[in-house]
Amino acid sequence: MRLCKQERGFLLLNVAIIGIGQTTYGEKKKQSIDEMVFEATKKALDDAGLQREEIESVVTAASDEIDGRAISNMLTAGSSGAYLKDEVKVSDGGIYGLILGYLRVASGVFENSLIVSWTKSSETSPDLVSKWAFEPLYTRVLGLNYISSVAIEASAYMGKADVKDEDAARVVLKNRGNALKNPLSHISHRPSREEIMSSRFVSYPIREIYIPPKSDGACALVIASRKRAKSLNRDCAWIRGIGWSVEEYYAGDRELFNLSSLRRSSQMAYKMAKVKNPLIEIDIAELSDVTPYHEMMIYEALGFCRDGEGKSLIRNKITELGGELPVNPSGGILSSNPIFASSLVRVAEAALQVTGRAGKRQVKNAGLALAHGFTGIFSQGSSVVILGS
Amino acid sequence: MERELIFIPQAWNIKFNHAAGEVGSAFFRAIIDRKEILGRRCPVCKRVLLPPRSYCERCFVQTDEWVKVGTEGTIQAFTIVYGRFKGLPDPPYAIAYVLLNGASTSMVNFVKGVDLEDLNEALKKIKIGSRVKVVFKRKREGRITDFWYELLKETS
Amino acid sequence: MKPRNIGIIGVGQTEYTTKRDDATLTEIAREATVLALEDGKIEIKDIDAVVFSLALDSLEGMESGEKWCAGAVGGYRKPFIRVHTGGTTGGSAVHAGFFHIASGLFDCILVVGAEKMGETPDAQNVLNRIFDPIYERTVAINAVNMCSFQAVRHMKKYGTSEYQMALVAVRSRKNALKNPYAHIRGEITVEDVLNSRMICYPIKLYDCCPRSTGGCAIVMASERFIRKLNKKNVAWIKGIAGCTNSYFIGDRMDGSGINDYADAEGLFLAAKGAYQMAEIKNPGKEIDFAEIYAPFTSTELAAVEALGFCERGESGIYNEKGIFNMDGRIPINPSGGVLTANPISVTALVRVAESTIQLMERAGERQVKRARTAVATGEGGSLQFYTVTVLSNRI
Repeated sequence: MRLCKQERGFLLLNVAIIGIGQTTYGEKKKQSIDEMVFEATKKALDDAGLQREEIESVVTAASDEIDGRAISNMLTAGSSGAYLKDEVKVSDGGIYGLILGYLRVASGVFENSLIVSWTKSSETSPDLVSKWAFEPLYTRVLGLNYISSVAIEASAYMGKADVKDEDAARVVLKNRGNALKNPLSHISHRPSREEIMSSRFVSYPIREIYIPPKSDGACALVIASRKRAKSLNRDCAWIRGIGWSVEEYYAGDRELFNLSSLRRSSQMAYKMAKVKNPLIEIDIAELSDVTPYHEMMIYEALGFCRDGEGKSLIRNKITELGGELPVNPSGGILSSNPIFASSLVRVAEAALQVTGRAGKRQVKNAGLALAHGFTGIFSQGSSVVILGS
Repeated sequence: MERELIFIPQAWNIKFNHAAGEVGSAFFRAIIDRKEILGRRCPVCKRVLLPPRSYCERCFVQTDEWVKVGTEGTIQAFTIVYGRFKGLPDPPYAIAYVLLNGASTSMVNFVKGVDLEDLNEALKKIKIGSRVKVVFKRKREGRITDFWYELLKETS
Repeated sequence: MKPRNIGIIGVGQTEYTTKRDDATLTEIAREATVLALEDGKIEIKDIDAVVFSLALDSLEGMESGEKWCAGAVGGYRKPFIRVHTGGTTGGSAVHAGFFHIASGLFDCILVVGAEKMGETPDAQNVLNRIFDPIYERTVAINAVNMCSFQAVRHMKKYGTSEYQMALVAVRSRKNALKNPYAHIRGEITVEDVLNSRMICYPIKLYDCCPRSTGGCAIVMASERFIRKLNKKNVAWIKGIAGCTNSYFIGDRMDGSGINDYADAEGLFLAAKGAYQMAEIKNPGKEIDFAEIYAPFTSTELAAVEALGFCERGESGIYNEKGIFNMDGRIPINPSGGVLTANPISVTALVRVAESTIQLMERAGERQVKRARTAVATGEGGSLQFYTVTVLSNRI
């Protein structure tokens, strides 16, 4: 078998994304959680041209707290196609579901796998839930939640890289402008510069308009081994590189403008995909712009530019839809944010791009795409997936 | 050492407002308005699903038909709870999965109207195969507790 | 397809207790990690990636508690992932570790987790919240009575008795006396079990598992890595498989008798997959002992049948004949099993760890005489999720 022969050494062209299913994003009062999950899963299966019976593995990714269910994949097992299948759940962003699904298929044990992630933010307060991500001894009582944590990172970055509020506004204008071309988007409104500058500070330097919406939605992918993907005889998005890493829990232990877990995970993915110069080699990126400041920080951590130069990429329109390296043609998380599914949406959008199926938001000649996700508070963990056509 | 250990008291209080969805809402509406229990039929395997689901997890298709099921059925499994659990009702109480006439799957609810103080006496009445009927609450509000099961006369 | 050869080379367990006021969740996970690394004579730098085994956030009182633990278990700057499938979590974590190595990306993996449910008095309240808030939760189902439904169906279908259930408790307690990690010790008689307080008919107090706190870790490695270190004492993973069943318990009582809630159908299918990978044809003959995730006596009865150690409905008689005792043909739960320690986040991982210790012939007083091939299981959700792992001390 190929793995035994190859032993270590990274495997290329081994696993491909062959089916993509997304719901629209926004508030979904008419659907229960499992109905939303069924919709995305069914779409992904139809897109792959597979019946549920043909699926060998299922990986789900969701939050018990936001679902309001102590084991969130119990209900959704059926709607994610897992009835009498080998299924596992990661309590993490959907991109981690893809990682585990990749490992399962790359092992040779399974020929294919469904990856399904969802969040129904409208049923509770995700901000309140995020408070509980702070450990109870030293940090939870300090008024911290997810938004204040990203604000602290953003302010650290502003000081380090001399980034201005105007630069953040440029990121919002770009991503919200792109979202107008994405029919799935939660927010279809590109604010004026004045509107941005008059938006109140929720947690300085984060204005209300810099905070992603809280969306309901589900995303599902079907991945398959090389053999299976080839037999379909159609364009697939090949997983060329994959990397994930975690930093210290306590944010005070590290530099907050650095996104060091992302630096490490991108190194792993670049090595596997043999990417030497990301700005030149990567054609499109879907990044977790949890704030506009973070998008610029991510440019630097991914090596799209030198440290401190993230602002130049946005000022010089390099990452706009017609630029050298378009970032978030989908509109990014600033436009649609089904929280736990958001990172899987990045992968789905990257896969649509490299297979030329991204509609009005399609980037020309998108041969190599990068998708990114964060996990935990203070960007403690990161993951990177590189897809090729 | 014991005296010096510090404890941090915490309580989770996260509120939810779970959407029953269109299908679930129609199910509860039928209970409120007409005292009817409605199941959903899978167009492929023809199973009538209770609780009503808008899709069949086995055939992986949308369900598209409402089926009014009977308000009588048979106990498939049960327990009588004598232990006290925080946040749950005061014991004793009986819970049973009941296959309602015309349904393909069993639905769980309380069994009321049986004296549970003596387990052995209660077990003569509440057992697998016992026939029960659905009894609706007078004021129904769209909750599963709008109804419960009671034993039919002939078996009790 | 048969994947790479992968083995377990180190095991670490803390003692399982009701509470640990002296240590945080992170510190308990660290204890298990250090013990496993020492046991495998491995340094943290040799670990390529970490899989964290953590079940319900709501039992720990923290969202994504694995992030808090990441540094403590040596995950710092490594690929680190958590799995959570309820009670099955530990089994899912072992399988995830297996896939890490089988993918070809990694050679040496730490699988670790910890449970500290002793900090909440509301465990059963939390476990009520695994049930659907729209159709089931307010009907007071929890992790105890969901197993009562299985038990009464097994009794009705096969004539299984409370006496036969009690035999499982008596054997487990007896085995646990020889396990220094066990939470519940002290010998009990069949009469003690039958006379113990009724919790949810037919499950009585001594039919139930405890709520435990503790940590567990294993080090897994590729054959290449193991050969390089020249390790001889290895528990090889021969087969793995998982199976997820319907969420709604009532779907498994449809009168057809197929996928019946009385039987652990999910476990049967998972076992079928794992046996196939391990090339086991006759489990009753080829498996020497088993560590089974069974939080209640009745759950074990259905499990041994699903694993193929006896025909369906025969488990009660087999227990009467002592076939699953330490001196019987297939010792079940030589550690004392889940009935004597249930740290939910790692309970299924402990099954693999205890199997490993047996296969390495280091189980001391609880050593099974002929320990060559073992099966370890995980169970979670509404008797919904199952994992099966087949291990052997021969490659």
